[in-house]
Amino acid sequence: MLNDILKYTGLFIVLLAIQVLLMNNIQFSGYVNPYVYILFILLLPFEIPSWLVLLFSFATGLVIDVSSGTLGLHTAATVFAGFSRPWVLKLIAPHDGYETGDLPGIKTYGFRWFISYIIIITLLHHFALFYLEVFRFDYFFRTLLRVISSSGFTVLFIIIIQALIVRR
Amino acid sequence: MISLLNFLKKYGNVLLFLLLEAIAIYLLTVKPDYHKIQITRIVNASASVLQERLNLASDYFVLNEINQQLRKENTELKNRLERVYNTESLQTFEATDSIYRQKYVYVQARVVNNSVNKQKNYITLDKGKLEGISEDMAVIGPDGIVGLVVEAGKNYSVAMSALNLDFRLSARLSKNNYFGSLKWEGVDVNTMVLNEIPHHVSVEQGDTVETTGYSAYFPEGVMVGTVKAFNEGGGDFYDIDVELSTGFEKLNNVYVVINLEKNDQIEVEQKINTEQRR
Repeated sequence: MLNDILKYTGLFIVLLAIQVLLMNNIQFSGYVNPYVYILFILLLPFEIPSWLVLLFSFATGLVIDVSSGTLGLHTAATVFAGFSRPWVLKLIAPHDGYETGDLPGIKTYGFRWFISYIIIITLLHHFALFYLEVFRFDYFFRTLLRVISSSGFTVLFIIIIQALIVRR
Repeated sequence: MISLLNFLKKYGNVLLFLLLEAIAIYLLTVKPDYHKIQITRIVNASASVLQERLNLASDYFVLNEINQQLRKENTELKNRLERVYNTESLQTFEATDSIYRQKYVYVQARVVNNSVNKQKNYITLDKGKLEGISEDMAVIGPDGIVGLVVEAGKNYSVAMSALNLDFRLSARLSKNNYFGSLKWEGVDVNTMVLNEIPHHVSVEQGDTVETTGYSAYFPEGVMVGTVKAFNEGGGDFYDIDVELSTGFEKLNNVYVVINLEKNDQIEVEQKINTEQRR
């Protein structure tokens, strides 16, 4: 238990650092804004209660908001992603369900399961995030394009980070 | 009691979700005020220190570029000076009296934080109230417009970047002085859109666009950019894409423009407005 707490705290700090020091500095265009910190919510154990996921999402979003000066924005989007997580998990559950004690990852249920899991949640999160950021419907299709392209980069980076860090 | 517990068991998560979303949306919609920036600043202090160190380090890598920029600016200023003295000697009635009626004061500032990848980008400057900076002052760079100060702290201030969906500026074509409204559409870091120029005005690719100085914030004739493309949008006006002269990704040295006559101008304009309302 204590080991788990330490492990997830470490993961949280690493993801926060990657997000704030690297990802937020990709000042390339509005179409490339990866938000990899949601990997923290994605990697929480299967059997963790939904309310705890919500609280973790809230805390994660708030920390990101405070460190990037956008109070409320990431919080709202991450809580939304955390809320949808149990449904997404149910939607893509393997035939014989999840085994207790398993952790979400490429190794547990295969690459296809993992990639659809990340893609769905990333899209939901980015959708909420980018539309809340613009906060108007003038730029509907442009924002949609930004959601899709940024989600692509987020998924790419998440797979890389997952491969590099999470194993340890 | 049991039914209440059952209800909570069934819908507790939804309720918690709604509660947390409500808090987030509340945080999102309250106007970012000075205290909030301060709080963010304090919590963020370690990150800022790190950021400044990084800036300091990366400054060295662009020293050459900055030097070149400053040299160019110096030459331009010297040329302008030359022009001023020439007008003075040739046509005395057009003399620019630079001592008794100074209109603008420029304060040099350094960009310590900047973004271009959001829809509402802001720039943090390392000068604040102590240097005379306050809200609604224009920020310009060596190459052209940069933004408008929206919050001023003691030692730091935050400016709304021109790359912000809420930014509006009146700008004109420098060759014929037709003016329109300039805004950013949130896509290209190098392009803003100039509206409200009527169809009968001749526009060509490469035309210079500059500020009008109709607002009390921006001085007249600050470079905005050049016309990249234009099309006859709906109605009677062109949609003109303006290629910005300022490179927002590598902002470093900027000037905050203090307009000494701003209050005067606003006061007079307000007087007219209230008189008309009567």
